[in-house]
Amino acid sequence: MPTLPDGAIQIEHVWKKFRADKTVPKFYDQMKRFGKSIGTGARHDFRWVLKDINLEVDPGGTLALIGINGSGKTTLLKIISQITYQSAGRCDVQGRIGALLSVTSGIHPELTGKENIYLYGAVMGMGRQTIRDRYDEMVEFAGLADAVDRQVKFYSLGMQMRLGFTIAAFLEPDVLLVDEVLAVGDANFQQKCLKRIGEIVKQGTTLLYVSHDLASVEATCETAVWLADSVAVASGPTREVVGLYRAAVEQNAALTTSTEGVVEVLKVEIEAADGGQVRSEADLVVRLSLNSPEPLQANFFLGVSQGTAFPMFIVRFDGNFPAGDFEVTCRMHHVPLSKGRYSLWPAMSGHAGGKGKPLLPWQPVMSFDVMGPDFIRLPEGVMVMSNVYVGSDWEVN
Amino acid sequence: MAAIASSFGRTLVETDVSSIPAEPSQDLIYRHRVRHFESARALWSHRDIIYTLAERDFRAQYKQATLGILWALLSPVATLLIMIVVFSHVKSFGTEGLPYALFAFVGILCWSFFSSALGNGGQSLLSNKALMAKTQFPRECFPLETMCVNALNTVLSWVPLAILFVIFGRAPAITTVWVPMYMLIEVVFAAGIAMAIASIIIQMRDLMQVLPIITSLGLFITPVIWPFSRIPSNFHFGGGIYVHHAVVFGKYVPSHWVGGFNINLQMVYGFFNPLGPVIDGARRTMLLGFAPQWNLAGIAALGALVYLTIGYRIFKRLEVNFADIA
Repeated sequence: MPTLPDGAIQIEHVWKKFRADKTVPKFYDQMKRFGKSIGTGARHDFRWVLKDINLEVDPGGTLALIGINGSGKTTLLKIISQITYQSAGRCDVQGRIGALLSVTSGIHPELTGKENIYLYGAVMGMGRQTIRDRYDEMVEFAGLADAVDRQVKFYSLGMQMRLGFTIAAFLEPDVLLVDEVLAVGDANFQQKCLKRIGEIVKQGTTLLYVSHDLASVEATCETAVWLADSVAVASGPTREVVGLYRAAVEQNAALTTSTEGVVEVLKVEIEAADGGQVRSEADLVVRLSLNSPEPLQANFFLGVSQGTAFPMFIVRFDGNFPAGDFEVTCRMHHVPLSKGRYSLWPAMSGHAGGKGKPLLPWQPVMSFDVMGPDFIRLPEGVMVMSNVYVGSDWEVN
Repeated sequence: MAAIASSFGRTLVETDVSSIPAEPSQDLIYRHRVRHFESARALWSHRDIIYTLAERDFRAQYKQATLGILWALLSPVATLLIMIVVFSHVKSFGTEGLPYALFAFVGILCWSFFSSALGNGGQSLLSNKALMAKTQFPRECFPLETMCVNALNTVLSWVPLAILFVIFGRAPAITTVWVPMYMLIEVVFAAGIAMAIASIIIQMRDLMQVLPIITSLGLFITPVIWPFSRIPSNFHFGGGIYVHHAVVFGKYVPSHWVGGFNINLQMVYGFFNPLGPVIDGARRTMLLGFAPQWNLAGIAALGALVYLTIGYRIFKRLEVNFADIA
């Protein structure tokens, strides 16, 4: 077996099983199981959380693991960092590993920030001397200069996270594992962390990055692996894998017809006015088939959002709608959306019959893709693509 | 550095999920092999973590107490005061001419290290499970770290012992220099048991409930408040005829056994419970000024090493699952 260079990760056919007992094993169950195990050799119920995972990262490479909750991302990181062991297969990692799996787990609430920096640093594999040398720098980075002598239990969660991340940021390992830890930080600090991760990668550290923030995944990693149901369903260049993942996730959440409103959504169609793909700045045609038990006079809204209930824009139409099946068509002009995936939210409000029942509650009914120009390079420090596309003409004199 | 010669990640590859077997083939099954030499080296290179964790626990223990670290001194003094009051009139169990308070306090100091090392060490994995599930370093650090904290606490509680010496107008004998040797045996013994308990408690929390019962029982079967000499060094075993002392042909013949054989129960006890010789040794050297009984010290050291080996092996054996089921 050839030895890998420092910072390389090679994983072959890794399997991991977890216990999946239905109850806490009580004495009676234990005995029953013991009796069974004499015949079969199986002591516990279990389930596979990772199945036949293969992946490779070169020294200095960057790999993202994406997938929904419970798909095995964190378990894989734990196996790579040897916190837990695989049930089968081979996992070969060379060099010093810095695993940032949870920022607050190493932090002791009773100790002061300073004491915690020494504690967590040591636990993460930093020598005491190194910590002493870089202490001031770390406090500066975390922005905790006036809180560092306070007990950590009086910190906010965000402050604890900053403390934890800072220590990891100064680790300088050969392999850095980062697991969805930036979620609690404020936007400013998140930006700072992502930038720091970028710097660490530039210095030649191998990065394994887990996040649900697909924009930051695309910005930091060259390659990606998509885990679904314990299996690595796709691997390859980040952009393509993320694209597949987005398509699958949103297929799941496709048309959710709500029964709560008076009006029922039967069918939704979205297309460009010229019949092709929806593009930035093109006109967009939305066609909804609806059903109402009675004629209505109402306000009809259509909103477009990216994920959240907070819309990026809303259009409105006031008018009369017939009883029974009817169709609403809306043409939106010069839709200023940048490349990405968006959802359509219709809503109706008015005064007809329903007695407290909304006519049509504000809810996403469909998602659609917008094609548009790519900004491959973003300004230094900006990690997330803007949602709005504005066409521009330039001139330099 | 040479890159891995493979095309992984260069192009989009979608896995055919149906091609994945239901279970891994037998030759892939991971076997956790413990290389003791490498484990020891890893532990040595992570010794900083042991100090740091010990420092954390020691500091955290008195944080937010107004008297702070003073409590490390005050609580043994309080124990001492209680003992002086309770035992000042007790004259049970021959104490070889020693004031009973002094006699018992040495025993209790040794015992309290052991019982708290067992308690804290045994729960060390459980109480650090958040850390254990997210960070990677040798797991032995946790029980060993609690040994350090307890040792430090115990050293601090030797201070009231000095007060006791003053009260009784005595001074520790020159042979006190042997006490650290006994303490080392005790630490080895406690570390072995604590490792075993810590790794078993993770799987079987029942032990957590049973542990205090066992320790309180241990207090009485260990020569803490009674002298070790209570255990016969020459115990007859295996039958035979007991001949009473008599004067035969003008010569005094003491009572003795004919047939069977004699065993030194102290040695047997010392192997299974190294604390016996340890406490006895500490008393003999510090209070009475005798040299250590080497045969007892040796058998205790041997016993302690056996416990350490067994404990360590159990720990390493169960280590694979720690992060998963903690």
